Amino acid sequence: MARVALRNVRKVYAGGVEAVKSASLEINDKEFVVLVGPSGCGKSTTLRMIAGLEEISDGEIYIGDTLVNDVPPKNRDIAMVFQNYALYPHMTVYKNMAFGLMLRKYPKKEIDQRVRDAARILGIEHLLDRKPKALSGGERQRVAVGRAIVRQPKVFLFDEPLSNLDAKLRVQMRAEISKLHTRLQSTMIYVTHDQVEAMTMGDRIVVMLGGAIQQIASPLELYNRPVNKFVAGFIGSPPMNLLDGSIVAENGTLWFRDAANAVSLAVAPEHQPAVEAYAGKRIVFGIRPEHFAENASQTPKPGRSVTANVEVVEPMGSEIYLHLAVGGHICTARVNTDREPPVNQAHVIDVNMEKAHYFDAETEMALGR
Amino acid sequence: MLSLLKSAILYAVLLVWLLAVVMPLLWVFAGSLRSSREFVEDPFGIPWLITGSPYADNPDVDTPWESVVADFRKAWVKSKFSRFFFNSVLVTTLSLVGIISISSMASYVLAKFTFPGSKLVLLYFVSGLMVPAQLVLIPLFFQFTTLSRWGTALLAPFGYEVELHDTFTGLITIYIALSLPFTILVLTGFFKSLPSELREAGIMDGCGEYGVFRHIMLPLSKPGLVTAAIFNFLGIWNEYLFALVFMNSDSHKTLPLGLAAVSIQAQYRTDFGLMFAGLVIVLVPTLLVYIVLQKQLTRGITVGALKG
Repeated sequence: MARVALRNVRKVYAGGVEAVKSASLEINDKEFVVLVGPSGCGKSTTLRMIAGLEEISDGEIYIGDTLVNDVPPKNRDIAMVFQNYALYPHMTVYKNMAFGLMLRKYPKKEIDQRVRDAARILGIEHLLDRKPKALSGGERQRVAVGRAIVRQPKVFLFDEPLSNLDAKLRVQMRAEISKLHTRLQSTMIYVTHDQVEAMTMGDRIVVMLGGAIQQIASPLELYNRPVNKFVAGFIGSPPMNLLDGSIVAENGTLWFRDAANAVSLAVAPEHQPAVEAYAGKRIVFGIRPEHFAENASQTPKPGRSVTANVEVVEPMGSEIYLHLAVGGHICTARVNTDREPPVNQAHVIDVNMEKAHYFDAETEMALGR
Repeated sequence: MLSLLKSAILYAVLLVWLLAVVMPLLWVFAGSLRSSREFVEDPFGIPWLITGSPYADNPDVDTPWESVVADFRKAWVKSKFSRFFFNSVLVTTLSLVGIISISSMASYVLAKFTFPGSKLVLLYFVSGLMVPAQLVLIPLFFQFTTLSRWGTALLAPFGYEVELHDTFTGLITIYIALSLPFTILVLTGFFKSLPSELREAGIMDGCGEYGVFRHIMLPLSKPGLVTAAIFNFLGIWNEYLFALVFMNSDSHKTLPLGLAAVSIQAQYRTDFGLMFAGLVIVLVPTLLVYIVLQKQLTRGITVGALKG
């Protein structure tokens, strides 16, 4: 069983900087969990604490059923892939991969077998006699992964392993690591600041900010039901549009209106119970870019449309991104249309209010969860 | 036109530099191929060994070849250069082993770990560079006397006697101590340039701290170690002052002392042939070490200059 559990884990550096604030997390056996967040959110520190490369200031870490707080990294039965690969420059690819097994005094025959098996899985058999400096970025990345898999550890840790690769190779390696997870059926913990990587790879995603875990959920749950304004804005590309305004009760229904009254949208009936307590109060309204739609007849629908000035049009091939000025707000809409709307003209855009999100302006927590 | 002029000036300066470095070397080598008689008659000419001796018809005068062989034999056997050579090799090798072992371990820790007082320790080592070696000569001499006495008293029950004067142990200890500041300064900078992730990768692979040092950091710091070793080799191989003060008996003398002895013994006449043969014996190992390790030396000096 390669379950990993963090119970109220804290990391306070000398000088009092609290890098991780009481993180609790249960990772199941064979699960692929991604820690994601902006720079300085504590995701790498959390991973390094699981690895044993950072001492924890408080709390407990379990790998399997063993409390590993005081267990040195080499005895935790884990392997780690580093951001800059950290291959030993003076060793060949073969020796880089075999080094961990040699230190553990495995028989030569078994080492050879494991290294060649891993090399075959990763397609690097022809590189075994080369030194790291003679490899491309993608090949080095494969060797770094190979070095981890020969050990057949209980848990794999990945610390932003794709961030040094170009965009195309990153997409390719992303798929390869996912395939590897399916093949090896091991527990994997993956750190990235790239929310696309997180969404495409993780069984579950842990979103972190300022050393605290914001939300732990599956990618779709995270996308559709973010717990707060930060998660809503962080997950999704282009990000969710967030508009400051207030809830107004009028004619027996609730409306979201911004300060300039340029946006006046009727709250969908299913959201009304969550929002009604905020009548007359400040609130943050959230809508994803794909929940805007072009109004074909350019006739405003009361409470379900906004009139916006199209500032920039970005054709992406299968869809078009529109950068809109709505009152004093800048929004992004993702629309499917064959015709590019003219720039710098007022345009009526429909809003799918059933897909709207509402956040408390003070606590930034989502309403109705 | 301007660039041509600049190049011409540059090459002229380099040519002067080249001559200043190479000429004395060539002169020494040429001198070692001359007999004393030849040296007096034509100190800057081409050796008779090449041009032929004007005394070729005189059977009483040795042929140039015989003179050269005789000079080297005299230096090696009679003037005990063989003994001095062995002593120098012993002292230099053991000193270098000591310097590199201690400095590499100390530098690695100072470069890669922060602990209370770590900067102070580095500063303490490096401050040694500010103390002129000549200044510590006399205090060290008396310190050795005291240490020898204490050591003997301490080890007397086990039947051992400690003597640091006129022993290889004493001289090697001095050389190691005097070389640590420079070597630690060089190697600390070198270890700092190695990425810390390699240490962490080693730890994840199953190394302890010593394992990381031994299997990963030490092999990677080879250019730095070689650079430090060459500089220290030059300093120790040619060192005269401390060897003169601390090594009294003939059997413990090193090559620079032997060379000085040759010129001092010849009070009323100078045996140039013997002296130049001795000089070449001193010089050749230095050149060999440099030629063999030249590639590593330049790598060590330029490391970190470019993103690699």
